[in-house]
Amino acid sequence: MNPLLWMLLDLLLAAMLLGLGWAAVATRDLKRGLALFIAFGLLLALAWARLRAPDLALAEAAIGAGIAGALLLAALRSEPQDGQPAAAPSRVFLLTLNLFSVLLAVAIAWALLSALAMGDGVRLAQAVTEHLSQSGVSNPVTAVLLNFRAYDTLLELAVILSAVLGVLALGPARPGYRLPGPVLYGLIRWLVPLLIVTGGYLLWVGAHAPGGAFQAGATLAAAAVLLRLGGVDAAGLPAAVVSRWLLAAGLLAFLAVGLLVTAFGYGFVQYPPDLAAGLILVIESAATLSIAVALALAYIGGWPSRRAQSGSLHTHTTEGGTH
Amino acid sequence: MNNLLALPVVLPLLGSLLALVWPRRADWAGLGASVAAFVAAGHIGAEVMRNATLELAVGGWAPGLGIALRADGLSASLLLMSTLVALAAGLYATTYFAEAQKRADFWPLWLLMITALHALLLSGDLFNIYVTLELLGLAAVALAALGGSRAALQAAVRYLTVGLLGSLAFLTGVGLIYAGYGTLDMVMLAGRVDAEPATWVALALMTAGLLIKSALFPMHFWLPSAHANAPAPVSAALSALVVKAAFYLVLRLWLDVFDVALSQASAGLLGLLGASAVIWGSWQAYRAERLKLLAAYSTVAQIGYLFLFIPVLLATEPGEARDLLFGALVLFALTHGFSKSAFFLGAGVILHRAGHDRIAELGGTARALPVTTFVLALAGIALIGLPPSGTFLAKWQLMTSAIAAGQWLWIPVIAIGTLLAGAYVFRVLGHAFGPGEGVGPSLAWARAELPALLLALVATAVLGLGAAQVWTMVVPGSNAEGVSL
Amino acid sequence: MLSAEIIYGLTGVGLFTLGLRATLLQASLLARILAINVCGAGVFLMFVSIAYQGLAQMQVPDPVPHALVLTGIVVAVSATALALALGRRLRESKDE
Repeated sequence: MNPLLWMLLDLLLAAMLLGLGWAAVATRDLKRGLALFIAFGLLLALAWARLRAPDLALAEAAIGAGIAGALLLAALRSEPQDGQPAAAPSRVFLLTLNLFSVLLAVAIAWALLSALAMGDGVRLAQAVTEHLSQSGVSNPVTAVLLNFRAYDTLLELAVILSAVLGVLALGPARPGYRLPGPVLYGLIRWLVPLLIVTGGYLLWVGAHAPGGAFQAGATLAAAAVLLRLGGVDAAGLPAAVVSRWLLAAGLLAFLAVGLLVTAFGYGFVQYPPDLAAGLILVIESAATLSIAVALALAYIGGWPSRRAQSGSLHTHTTEGGTH
Repeated sequence: MNNLLALPVVLPLLGSLLALVWPRRADWAGLGASVAAFVAAGHIGAEVMRNATLELAVGGWAPGLGIALRADGLSASLLLMSTLVALAAGLYATTYFAEAQKRADFWPLWLLMITALHALLLSGDLFNIYVTLELLGLAAVALAALGGSRAALQAAVRYLTVGLLGSLAFLTGVGLIYAGYGTLDMVMLAGRVDAEPATWVALALMTAGLLIKSALFPMHFWLPSAHANAPAPVSAALSALVVKAAFYLVLRLWLDVFDVALSQASAGLLGLLGASAVIWGSWQAYRAERLKLLAAYSTVAQIGYLFLFIPVLLATEPGEARDLLFGALVLFALTHGFSKSAFFLGAGVILHRAGHDRIAELGGTARALPVTTFVLALAGIALIGLPPSGTFLAKWQLMTSAIAAGQWLWIPVIAIGTLLAGAYVFRVLGHAFGPGEGVGPSLAWARAELPALLLALVATAVLGLGAAQVWTMVVPGSNAEGVSL
Repeated sequence: MLSAEIIYGLTGVGLFTLGLRATLLQASLLARILAINVCGAGVFLMFVSIAYQGLAQMQVPDPVPHALVLTGIVVAVSATALALALGRRLRESKDE
């Protein structure tokens, strides 16, 4: 395609991103802001696709716009709609803030342009390409996430866990939804199995094509969100005692593999090259379950109300007794 | 290959998962993991004293493509402090949270926070540090909200939003660095970095993000409410460890990575902010009406002292004089860590007994809780900087070096800060020794008081008398005889 | 001619600043969370633009920033979830 046309398309997409981003945060009407924000997220997914980052396009659609949108919509449902008309900021504050923002933008833009001019753009890409064949997967993004920089991903799973544990510690879940009408019910009956299959596919395909544990986990969580919208309070989650294990599964698998290899003379999280593919799949499968359960619990906002008590120790004790 | 370096991260993380899946055994999982992490940190400290710097290339990939964990004297000593404070505060938490349910909520989050702290201290990679900052921030916010009071929730929300902005500023700087230098590894970066626009803006953004997180004046506004309203063991860790982690990163970036690109003027600006923090924080601590709020403002002031070291360090020629000053800085950070955590745990004991922590109504505390009063006095000695505490030596060294570097301005700041610290500590002790029944009937000894006592003893006696060891650890091969008592 | 990495990189800078400005200006928690997310999206866009620069030499974009942004997206949604839960609990405590 004509490079000039590309540039015009790029400029159009950039202008729309800036416009939607601005509109989403500038409005006082939260409902409107949220709708604009979700549209912004979808446009961002388009930008990732344009910039040849399909893994991110998937992740943005599933997590950034999807799960985050669902979380925000659920929060809006319980937000008082009248809104508290905030005191208008003083002119001096506004002027200072605007001046500061402009200066900051100019400084960062200047730095970014000069940083881009400093290199030829190769950076670590060369090293990734050279070592890709030893990584056990052929999708370079998965290779970085699950092998070269697996330690980041380990801590990232801990970030998700800490957020959801923080949510759970804040108290019981909000009440669920009433049973839906027949149309929505029919839709959910179709969509939930489809999402579960898609999640499994994304997990499997991540080794050599765009996809992986995070996209797969978010897709499974989307199924849970739909179930909850369809009136299933527990959103398909198992009992709390099992859910706790599922929450921990991703990190447990990661640590187990990371430590087990050290017994054979390897370093921490250093996969033997022959086994790398299998080990990565084990870790990713466990991580997918953990991410799905964590995002679902975060959406529900606590242990599901039908067994609100089973998250606590007391019923947990009785449950433990019956097993 | 040095898998030892992974243990301070892996052990608390494993403990957290065990506490999550076996909530009824949470205490054991938590304390077990804390003890194990302490042992691992001790080993790392001993190794660092022998070999100077340890490195582990995680996953076996060379730093650059992979992520390196590194430990030197600075990170190893802070790691040791962190494991000890975490152990003592965790021990106290088992008595602080009476309900098993609360402890089952507390332990997994607490251990995730400790995981993040240790990962941050050991990380050699800028993006990895961003992840540790986010993990630290989210876990700390969740813990700060654990009390559940309205004030605690409000403080937690502000803590979270401010922290997220700080992380994003840091991340933007990381992006600029990667764009300009093609690496995220700090040692590789130190070899490549130049005085370029991208470097300055990146360093400014990363520093700004870290200053917010370390609550340096005037970015301290979120700290007092967050630290004062959190459960006492959490306050102890937030004040003693979490803000210091951000300071540690500033130090790492300014001294080890970006020193070529720095001007004395920018260091002077940090010093001025530090000086303002010393004066403002100490004054607000003096005026505080509640014990935990006093301790929180005292943290604002003590963080200020740490930033005073930076312009003096950068003005001192590398060599013995600078090593001495650097050791003093570490000694100051360690002493504050132990004394402030002891102070918060002591405040927690009083709060539990009396149901309040209003300073004016502390009369009779000395009779009712002699051990805790002793803790507050010991911690107070270290906060003021009286001998034999490590703070005394550290402040002395800071003043000597400041004079040698011609930076006279810091001398009156240190003097005023010290006087104000004396005033706020003696105000607390004055009320505690005064008459009254404010804290209930007398109690000879309680298990809840032991962790605070240990921490206070480390702050005042162990670190002061064993200061030479700190210098040997931080500056391998240094001749520290001139400074030991 | 403006290259794509410059167009999107500068868009990222713009989104970062306007998100930051709105975070400091907005009073309601939900609006602040939206603004922080826009701010974060700006940072991510900078990273992906930096990756895109690799296309000229390597025929594919640099995968490392992509992996970093994926991590960032997950961190952002985690933080959003925690912030919303705190906000909900705060509102409930107002009602009590």
